[in-house]
Amino acid sequence: MALLVRTHYRLARAAIKDNRTRSFLTCLGIAIGVASIILILSLMGSISNLVKEQTKEIGADLIVVRPSSTKDNVTNIVEELTSANSFQKSNLAISDVKAIKNVEHVAAAAPIAVSTNTVESEKNTFDSVPILGTNSDFIKIEPLALRYGSFLTDTEDSKSVILGHTLSLALFNTINSTVGKTINIMGEKFMVAGVLDEIEKSINFDNVDFDNALIMDINSLDKYTGSTQIQQINVKAENTDSLATISSDIRSAIENQKQGDKNFTVTYGDDITHPASNLFTIVSGMLAIVAGISLIVGGIGVMNIMLVSVAERTHEIGIRKAVGASSRNILIQFLFEALILSILGGIFGLVLGYILAFLLSVITPFAPYISWQILAVTFLTTLVVGIIFGIYPALKAASKNPIDSLKHYR
Amino acid sequence: MSENILIELKGLTKRYGYGDTESYALKDFDLTIKRGEFIMIMGPSGCGKTTLLNIIGLLDRASKGEYILNGENVAGISARRQAKLRAKKIGFVFQNFNLIEDLTVIDNVALPLVYTGYSKTAQLKNASNALKRFHLNEREYYLPYQLSGGQQQRVAIARAIVGDPEIILADEPTGNLDSRSSHIVMEELKAIHEEGNTIIMVTHNPSLTSYATRVINMLDGQIDTDVKTVADANLPQPISVKIKKRKKVEESEFVSMPTDEIKKEPTEEEPTEEDESKEPAKPKKKRKKSKNNKKDRRNK
Repeated sequence: MALLVRTHYRLARAAIKDNRTRSFLTCLGIAIGVASIILILSLMGSISNLVKEQTKEIGADLIVVRPSSTKDNVTNIVEELTSANSFQKSNLAISDVKAIKNVEHVAAAAPIAVSTNTVESEKNTFDSVPILGTNSDFIKIEPLALRYGSFLTDTEDSKSVILGHTLSLALFNTINSTVGKTINIMGEKFMVAGVLDEIEKSINFDNVDFDNALIMDINSLDKYTGSTQIQQINVKAENTDSLATISSDIRSAIENQKQGDKNFTVTYGDDITHPASNLFTIVSGMLAIVAGISLIVGGIGVMNIMLVSVAERTHEIGIRKAVGASSRNILIQFLFEALILSILGGIFGLVLGYILAFLLSVITPFAPYISWQILAVTFLTTLVVGIIFGIYPALKAASKNPIDSLKHYR
Repeated sequence: MSENILIELKGLTKRYGYGDTESYALKDFDLTIKRGEFIMIMGPSGCGKTTLLNIIGLLDRASKGEYILNGENVAGISARRQAKLRAKKIGFVFQNFNLIEDLTVIDNVALPLVYTGYSKTAQLKNASNALKRFHLNEREYYLPYQLSGGQQQRVAIARAIVGDPEIILADEPTGNLDSRSSHIVMEELKAIHEEGNTIIMVTHNPSLTSYATRVINMLDGQIDTDVKTVADANLPQPISVKIKKRKKVEESEFVSMPTDEIKKEPTEEEPTEEDESKEPAKPKKKRKKSKNNKKDRRNK
């Protein structure tokens, strides 16, 4: 059997070699499909890797509380995209943060509530600046560093804000003399208390671009803008050993606070790492579908070329059958050819996909991401494509009548 | 063993079409072919010669009737078994050579071995030996179109005999050749026949009948005349395999059985006593002996 497999492999290789151009073009069809799949998988992998690394940097003692919707994910995403308000109604409240802080072994808890507003400085005015409402614990949890000034303090009615690196540059054309200046938000004057250091990784589990954001006290945000939707509450535990117990304590604390409302999730460890942006999930999902379609088109190319090959080699099939090839021999011979074509295309696509991923990493922060899962998925996909699109021509070849085939000339 | 009968056809009928278009290529065809015969089948076009050859060669199935090959009725066997028998027991030679144009001469010759489980080296070795026999060993890596018609047909004959089949079926092997090449090809077939192979050949050329041991004239799907020019007793006896096989001997039972028995008989009496005392020392002989013993018992 092994011998026959080797023979079939050799035959298929010879046949592919004999029709180099044709085989190359067929492979190319598969390769493009595979390359786009690889590219997308690599992108998604590298993004979740980025976030994972970040969670690691923050520490293993992080617990994240997020509001959860009763709707399923897809409706959620669609709703989010179509509604003017880009944030879903959150059922987390500022009082929940206090409740969490009272839980045993919780070192710090900071809410994240992002809204956008117009920010005016003496020089410039900017629309749609993301304003992050939080508390003084935030800096204890996040890996943020202040370039100048100091972070928020827990004073009631605080009117100090922290500017992101880029925002500071945009508002005042400088970063070093920003501290102490005033800005206008909704007609209220705020004082700049500090400026953040530049952030290298713009993607994080908070879904906030800190470089462009303005940070202020959540109570002030609530008071002056009147819209606080808490996206998540980041909690730092005192130690990493009992995250499970602490998070269940947090869960019951919030439930008590909310009188049994269970519409929220408490996650820790790797669960925090979910695709940073829903929009990104949608885009990559669409891309994956397109890639899948191009792979199917590639598969049809394989089928087409195999049908041509079978028709061209009818005489050969007749001869092979006359000298003792069974239908199964012929079937395997042609199936092998299709498989080799698609696997070659797969390998080719793998290389192409990673070249593209590498090129992409030059202009984006997404480093090419290689894992055995991606390789396995690629290999399996091409194998399946080869079998699905190779079986029909192979069956056609195998079912040829030897006598008629022998009469068939090119 | 009933006097070396290789093929028995009983009431073989091949019908094409139904109703008004119904026609018979073979009609109640009976034929018995003995091992070592060189049969020429003649007759006008459309008398069923090629159909007969295709049925004997297991490429086609009869609509009705029995086909007994080596004592086994093969008329109703599966396509897979048919293919297996084709690979092992039957060699085809065609009028238009039917070589695969993309394959070199040696790969063409080795083709039947591909489907009988030979290693690549064994395939090439056997194919090379077969080609040597036809003085084509210098053309091993030529492509078929680079050879003359006569050479191509000799390559085809080499392919037909490389698997050491029992029957060689030739469908007008000289039909596309000039007289000189025809002569060479016929001489080769004659030589193969003299080694004990059974050849069934379809031809239109009456001058070739001198090579045959039996000439059958067909008409309308039936035998018209059947003339034996050589007595059955004078038919060449199969001689042992010329080409070394990689596979077990049991596979080619039919070719080697008669010679095996002749070889074994003289030594049959001696080892019976010897072996009991020297059993572990000669495991090979022991196996032979036990086989013979079984045969002896059966004979008694």
